[in-house]
Amino acid sequence: MKPFLFNPFNRIAGARALLLGWLLILLTAIIAFFSHCHFDGALDAHAGQKGAWWLYLAEPFLAWGSTVLVFYGTGLLVAGPQTRFVDIAGTMALSRWPKIFVALLFLIPVSVPQRASDVGLPLIAFGLSALVFSIWMIALMYHAYTVSCHVKGTKAVVSFILALVIAELISKSAFYFFYTSIIHP
Amino acid sequence: MQKKLPYICPSCTAPLRVQGLVCLQCETQVTGSFPLPELAQLTEEEQQFILEFVKSSGSLKLMAAQLKLSYPSVRNLLDDIIEKLKANSPRD
Repeated sequence: MKPFLFNPFNRIAGARALLLGWLLILLTAIIAFFSHCHFDGALDAHAGQKGAWWLYLAEPFLAWGSTVLVFYGTGLLVAGPQTRFVDIAGTMALSRWPKIFVALLFLIPVSVPQRASDVGLPLIAFGLSALVFSIWMIALMYHAYTVSCHVKGTKAVVSFILALVIAELISKSAFYFFYTSIIHP
Repeated sequence: MQKKLPYICPSCTAPLRVQGLVCLQCETQVTGSFPLPELAQLTEEEQQFILEFVKSSGSLKLMAAQLKLSYPSVRNLLDDIIEKLKANSPRD
């Protein structure tokens, strides 16, 4: 059970992982529509205004896409041409499944404090829970990367951290362009 | 009982070499110092992997289906064996 929770990619990768990952991302998007949760970055999830239904569908796929591009490029640089795009795409899609729980968390009505002194236990618990699921997703992403690219040790850790930071920066830029050009031109 | 061919010294973990061979037919004995074949220097699991790889005509896709592993996992196992064989191969 433990390997499946943190590293299912020894068993499933490639096109099968991609299909399953996309279905889970779609499920996440559906839940996010009802919970008004916006996945506006490679790692991010924020509460936001209610938007069109297609926005909730586009956001997680855009976040996934930016992650795939960066990690595929990193895999080619670090591991070489044997890195398969479909493995990166599939394992990265599947690694996002803990975001389902983040989208569900946003169904819980938690008031946004106006001042720091208004931050209460419910909000802290909410934040910590979301953080746990995000860390779980990052752990899955790490295993997705190391299995798909066959990278080990210090090289794997350093290149993963760098790629994750770059993916977050690129996704933020992509979302900024998306929101300013398409949503609010 | 199936015996396993040792390839690492149990005392100092250095690679073992073959010092004697015997013909059970005519009892001829051959002595010398011969390196173990490269494939014999792999673990039993690795040797089994190589055998299955050959039987699968080199198809990693088929191997993945047989071993119930993902394609990159099977490829990674093969890459690890290749690295080990390169490290163990005698230098020219």
